[in-house]
Amino acid sequence: MARLFIFAVGLLLFASVWSSSLNVDGSSKRLLVLLDNLGLRESHSFYFKQLKDRGYSITFKTSDDSSLQIVKYGEYLYDHVIVFAPSTKEFGGRLDAEVLTQFVDAGGNVLVAGSNTVGDVIREFASECGIEFADDKSAVVDHLNYDLSDDGQHTLIVASPNNLLSSELIVGQAKKNNLPFLFRGTGMSSDPENPLLLDYPATVGKRTLLISVLQARNNARVGFVGSLDFFSNDFFLSAAQPNNGKKSDKSGNQDLAVALTDWLFKQRGVLRSRNIHHYLKSDKSTPRFYTVKNDIVFNVQFDEFVHGKWMPFNGTDVQLEFVRIDPFVRTTLANKGGQLEAQFRVPDTYGIFKFVIDYNRVGYSHLYSATQVSVHPLLHTEYERFITSAYPYYISTFSMMAGAFLLSFLVLYHRDDLPKKKAE
Amino acid sequence: MDAFTSILPFKQLLPQKLSYDKQETFLKLFILASAGILAFATRLFSVLRYESVIHEFDPYFNYRTTKFLTDEGFYSFHNWFDDRAWYPLGRIIGGTIYPGLMVTSAALYHALRWFHITIDIRNVCVFLAPLFSSFTVIVTYLLTKELKNTSAGLVAACLISIVPGYISRSVAGSYDNEGIAIFCMLLTYYLWIKAIKTGSIMWSASCALAYFYMVSSWGGYVFLINLIPLHVLALMFTGHFSHRIYVSYSTFYIMGTILSMQISFVGFQPVQSSEHMLAFGTFGLCQLFSFVEYVKSKLTQAQFDALFSFALVTVGFALSVAGLVLWASGKIAPWTGRFYALLDPSYAKNHIPIIASVSEHQPTAWSSFFFDFELLVFMFPVGIYYCFKELTDANIFIIIYGMTSIYFAGVMVRLMLVLAPVMCVLSGIGISSILTTYMRNLDVSQPKKSAGTASAGSRSRRTDDSSTYPRKNEIAFGVVCLMTFFLITYVFHCTWVTSEAYSSPSIVLSARGGDGSRYIFDDFREAYWWLRYNTDEDAKVMSWWDYGYQITAMANRTILVDNNTWNNTHISRVGQAMSSTEDKAYEIMRELDVDYVLVIFGGLIGYSSDDINKFLWMVRIGGSTDKGAHIKESDYFTPQGEFRVDKEGSPTLLNCLMYKLSYYRFGETYTEQDKPPGYDRTRSVEIGNKNFELEKLEEAYTTEHWLVRIYKVKKEENRGQS
Repeated sequence: MARLFIFAVGLLLFASVWSSSLNVDGSSKRLLVLLDNLGLRESHSFYFKQLKDRGYSITFKTSDDSSLQIVKYGEYLYDHVIVFAPSTKEFGGRLDAEVLTQFVDAGGNVLVAGSNTVGDVIREFASECGIEFADDKSAVVDHLNYDLSDDGQHTLIVASPNNLLSSELIVGQAKKNNLPFLFRGTGMSSDPENPLLLDYPATVGKRTLLISVLQARNNARVGFVGSLDFFSNDFFLSAAQPNNGKKSDKSGNQDLAVALTDWLFKQRGVLRSRNIHHYLKSDKSTPRFYTVKNDIVFNVQFDEFVHGKWMPFNGTDVQLEFVRIDPFVRTTLANKGGQLEAQFRVPDTYGIFKFVIDYNRVGYSHLYSATQVSVHPLLHTEYERFITSAYPYYISTFSMMAGAFLLSFLVLYHRDDLPKKKAE
Repeated sequence: MDAFTSILPFKQLLPQKLSYDKQETFLKLFILASAGILAFATRLFSVLRYESVIHEFDPYFNYRTTKFLTDEGFYSFHNWFDDRAWYPLGRIIGGTIYPGLMVTSAALYHALRWFHITIDIRNVCVFLAPLFSSFTVIVTYLLTKELKNTSAGLVAACLISIVPGYISRSVAGSYDNEGIAIFCMLLTYYLWIKAIKTGSIMWSASCALAYFYMVSSWGGYVFLINLIPLHVLALMFTGHFSHRIYVSYSTFYIMGTILSMQISFVGFQPVQSSEHMLAFGTFGLCQLFSFVEYVKSKLTQAQFDALFSFALVTVGFALSVAGLVLWASGKIAPWTGRFYALLDPSYAKNHIPIIASVSEHQPTAWSSFFFDFELLVFMFPVGIYYCFKELTDANIFIIIYGMTSIYFAGVMVRLMLVLAPVMCVLSGIGISSILTTYMRNLDVSQPKKSAGTASAGSRSRRTDDSSTYPRKNEIAFGVVCLMTFFLITYVFHCTWVTSEAYSSPSIVLSARGGDGSRYIFDDFREAYWWLRYNTDEDAKVMSWWDYGYQITAMANRTILVDNNTWNNTHISRVGQAMSSTEDKAYEIMRELDVDYVLVIFGGLIGYSSDDINKFLWMVRIGGSTDKGAHIKESDYFTPQGEFRVDKEGSPTLLNCLMYKLSYYRFGETYTEQDKPPGYDRTRSVEIGNKNFELEKLEEAYTTEHWLVRIYKVKKEENRGQS
């Protein structure tokens, strides 16, 4: 019993900077497509045309091309890689699973398609990403949801869009359009040990995954689709006729494939933060350090990459924390057209604090920013000079001084004429 | 005095044209100046042998603060909040240190600058302690002179100039509070003796000022503020109490207390904490005592008795009620742990691991008394004997000082320092008295002249009797020779101890090779310099607290804990990280934003005070708080109760972070001939867990002799694979 899942691994933390890292965003369009054979260019031409229309400069290479390389002189030559070469045992040239993994760690995005046979190099790369493909020469068989045009082995599956992860950013309109998907290929399972699994689908127990995506901590995105045919012209065009449902004229494959690719290649769901400012509310200056109980303002500009342009982000659930081991202040930032702002009073605790924004939502790239400031106690001149409750003490001090002065004056200058008379 | 000058063999060398008084002054000045210069010079071993470098741990902090003070001025120093230490808590430095030392150096520095003597502030710091030792020599002379006479003063001054117990804390480079505090303490005592002898307000006020200087420079002032009241009390009980004492003590206490409260670290302690209650109580008692004396002089005996018994009951009751209320409301601060440790040596060990873990806080071994004082150990009782023989107010003071400090020195090693001056003073009195007594018998051809001008009464009687026993010239000669021999061995011993034991900076190590040549291990500075130039400016370094001050001062990086052990919980957290497995430790390190971990490892060169040998303290301190309750000391021992790092060692130990960081890649290293790889030369065993890989950390730097190893904490795995 197989279902079509998209399983997103959302991740915590750090857009960390790696050596020879890629700075991939929506405007990065260098795409390498690795194919088992160049014939796939024709059989999947609709898909590639969609990509070309989006402005990608596509380089097609066969996977065993001996001149294959993605890194040259420490610089990456491509921003994205599509591997439509499931049966490849080993890449040609200077590419192998390790290089591909490094590519991901450097920030590059990868889309991998499997099929009934999945080569060792793909398996190796997948397992680096916590994905395990099913055994070689196997296929997902579903006797309950197969297409009527199936040849009797029930490997051509019709998957319902209900099983998709409900994140419009990743799957686009595919879920809303409610068109079933055609799928023929292998399944996979995710590493149950992976601690970063955020959104495991509700249908646990049917553990076979057909499509899965992963967003690494550096926001590099990796997609695995079990079926190469999923992207083919045939599947894009053909009608889906489930054995147990009503026939739809067109499969949802094209919508999903394109949406998925957009997301993977950072055309959607990409956020960035910039212009972090924090200052005193009173005079709008940023001191070298804050003092306890200062009123301060923190603001930051959030942008979202939409339709090829950076637009102001309009989410209202971004939170700011003021952390010293534990958060002392946690407040939601008010969004004024992408300008997020929070005002709060520094707690009456000194130490080294951090302004932390940790915005991690399914489908969006993970934004983490920590700005360190130190909070000092009051200076010796900043305390109250006179305290009301201390007036009795002031009075007692001065009255005693006056008294002592008077007494010594009397003792020194008063001549005691009558020594027998006792002074009180 | 003539008895004294007659001791000197080179009397003939003195300018003959000078009058007798002038000769005497010249001699005194000559001896004092020599002693002062000797005190300075003998402390320079470390500078000559290594370089002009700050020593050990605390001095680095003092150096750093002094530098800050000279650069930024007093007010920034006073308000200094250090965000480089105790990350992420920070530390208010201005309010948690005794600023006397830094202010002294800064003042010296600016004074020299004013005279256009351009000197580096580091050199001021390095040579401050020897300089103040020279001052101490002079003050000791003055103090002993007040107690006994000039000759005793000169002997004491000579003794203190080279006594190892004091040198241990005042060699060049040992830039610590104690370096100037001993001077302040003796100065206060001198002025106190002066005050009670004269009963003058001026001397008492000077004494209070000296006390203020003492308070501003060392936490050991608590000893002083208890000793002086104790003296007053003793005087009261022995019937020596007089108006002079009353004036001196009242002036001293009031002024001293008000002044001491100006030090922000001390704050309200003088009127709140129980450590200062003796002084306060004695002050009250002084007033009562004088008042009672006054009333007594005005009333008849019967009237007085009635009034006295009535007052005793009411006042006693009122006082006890007030005391209880203050105690219950917490106004009287509870006794602090360090103070309990003084009274009960086992207290700290049982209750506060952080106090017990410091080697300076350990009880003193018998041998170290001899090591630090040599001859003085035997001459000390002699001095006390002579003081008892002539029981004046001042002598009562020095007896009390001697008795209390010898007790405290037995409790804590570091308090040997307080004992050192009184040892010298009393031994000075003892030696001088013995020498004067026998020296007089030495030259029997001039007995009349010597006896005629003998100063102290008790001695003159002895001199008169001396003709009653035979061969007194020979006996006297024997005693003087013996004394001379002792004094000469004292000088040799002191020089040897200073050179061998107390002059190593501990930041640079040295060892002797098989052929007698000297090897220098400069690994500490190598590592700190590496941190300084190769890590991010805001990088946080985790290490055991011993190295905190050095890392901030030399590497200028943020650290989690340092030698100012003010927050036990935070230190405990670091202890937990060090004694947990790598995974658990990683969580703690992420929580505290640790970027680098620094460990000290001596297994390659056989350096014994490394982190593995300190490790049990990390376990104890780590396990002493709630969060670390799962860390139990017994888990780190073998079933037989041994602490071993070889194959027999407990698996918890062999897998904890500290073990792994110390022994990473050590299993494949050959350290000694005929021994298997991974042979630990400090503990003389082959390590038990050899081939392991680090998962959450990576080795960043290891110094030449592996003494310091620095690891970088890895980021979380990019693709979520653990």
